[in-house]
Amino acid sequence: MMQKRSKFEQGLLTVLTVVVVILFMIPVFWLITTSFKFGREAFSIPPKWLFFDFTLRNYEDVLATSKIGLYLTNSLIVSLGATVLSLVLGVPAGYAIARSGSRVLNMSAYFFLLLLMVPPVAMLIPFYLIMRDLHLLGSYASLIILDTVFDAAFVVWMMRSYFADVPREIEEAALVDGASRFAAFWRVALPLSIPGIVASALYVIIFSWNDFLFALMLTSPETKTIPLGILSSFSAVEINWGKMAVMCIFAIVPALFISLFLNRYFIQGATMGATKG
Amino acid sequence: MRRALRGEGAYLLMLLPLLVFVAAIAIYPLLFSFRISLFKYRLTDPNQVQTFVGLDNYLRAFQDPIVLTSIQVTLIYVAGTVLLEMSLGLALALLLASEARLMRGARSLLLLPMALPPLVVGLVWKSLYNADFGVIPYYLKALGIDVGRGPLAELNWAMLAVILIDVWQWTPLLMIIFLAGLKGLPLEPYEAAFADGATRWQRFVHITLPLLKPTLLVALLLRTMQSFKVFDVIYATTGGGPGSATTVLNFHIYTVGMTFFDMGYAAALANVLLVIIAILSALYIIILERQQL
Repeated sequence: MMQKRSKFEQGLLTVLTVVVVILFMIPVFWLITTSFKFGREAFSIPPKWLFFDFTLRNYEDVLATSKIGLYLTNSLIVSLGATVLSLVLGVPAGYAIARSGSRVLNMSAYFFLLLLMVPPVAMLIPFYLIMRDLHLLGSYASLIILDTVFDAAFVVWMMRSYFADVPREIEEAALVDGASRFAAFWRVALPLSIPGIVASALYVIIFSWNDFLFALMLTSPETKTIPLGILSSFSAVEINWGKMAVMCIFAIVPALFISLFLNRYFIQGATMGATKG
Repeated sequence: MRRALRGEGAYLLMLLPLLVFVAAIAIYPLLFSFRISLFKYRLTDPNQVQTFVGLDNYLRAFQDPIVLTSIQVTLIYVAGTVLLEMSLGLALALLLASEARLMRGARSLLLLPMALPPLVVGLVWKSLYNADFGVIPYYLKALGIDVGRGPLAELNWAMLAVILIDVWQWTPLLMIIFLAGLKGLPLEPYEAAFADGATRWQRFVHITLPLLKPTLLVALLLRTMQSFKVFDVIYATTGGGPGSATTVLNFHIYTVGMTFFDMGYAAALANVLLVIIAILSALYIIILERQQL
């Protein structure tokens, strides 16, 4: 930190950084190139990393023959549903916990943290049976509300620490002027917390979009989300890796977009769980 | 009424919708799960008979060799992933801590793995590990290491292979947490150590590590709890095999419930897992709470 590094050391660190980045990017690079390769070239040994015959055939095949449109639509419905619901429930709750003077309310933040830690498989069996009895298996609603339990718990935890950093003075001024606490929240605190809400929303979108276990149990052929769709498009004995790569590319679009363009928010969310804020 | 809304009552009201939701969607199912775990209940039973068996399902769990194996497998998996990710994550954080352009770019690229759907990650690595055309066995062979039917299908390799997938995906998360921790460290001890002529290694061991201890502890617990939840990657790559080499408890519970439809027993196993996680969570919360003081 204090000590100046020599030129040699600087160079060494640069090389090391480049090597690390390449190693971490290989699987993603491999996925993207496989989606543009002809079947035989995807399997060629020795592997062709950079020079291969480029084709869009896999994309054409997937768009023409698979139900990718349905799976993407389902994923979108579930992700957006869970995101809206968990923000509506979680943001005011996070605000209440951050602002309340009551110790019980403050400590309830840990209840949501505990909830966040519950292994999904522990919810799996009872939730499946309950949804079966309610005849909701295969509905979007069942998946959205189960996702929302965990998503909302995350939103509360994240927004609580975000609101704690928003200065109270402006809200207090509004309260003195006769605004209700709801108005102080809605008109003063909320507009100041847009970045925190965006960061929470991004995480929640990723959680629900990436979810596999709940979708595996709760979806029907018509409501399959994209991870399920990928699996059911290929039989265990014969996998067309080129086509599978294309479907995977569609499945990782939100991840690519968020981690490359919105990573500021993303980092904020990652450190939130580890610090008290 | 109006008065109440101007005071603490308003906060309770803002929290209430979520509390009701959670009680209905999370607490009720967990209680339901406890009830089911006291019954013998097979979904495949045409009459859907539920027979009360008391704690039999729990007693059965502790005598079931597959369960004992899967607990062992889980512990190896959790220990392997967490230890590797902690040390690699710390190394990466130290390497990429500077604000130079290259380092900032590298940091944002490394965020990508943890945003990817774990199922897709599993499928991609499955093709990289493939015995016939996978690049990893190919290069291993070039180094003189023969992995036979591929790393995912060999008893000695499967666990290491799935651990590495987890390490690839989650090391960056620890890197970010440690970067935030490093940023918060005070400068004075380093200045003093520099004046005393301490080497870089000495400063790392005697200043950085002790100061970073709270962050390390929190990250350790957080990642441990997450690692217990692994499912998608196992499902996509080994399906718990070969044999039961990668059957973590989580995966076994799913199999008992959703393949054998032995609901009572699956619920009992899930509750055992829940207790393990609850103990870890309690520790985690106590440490978080202390950190503030």
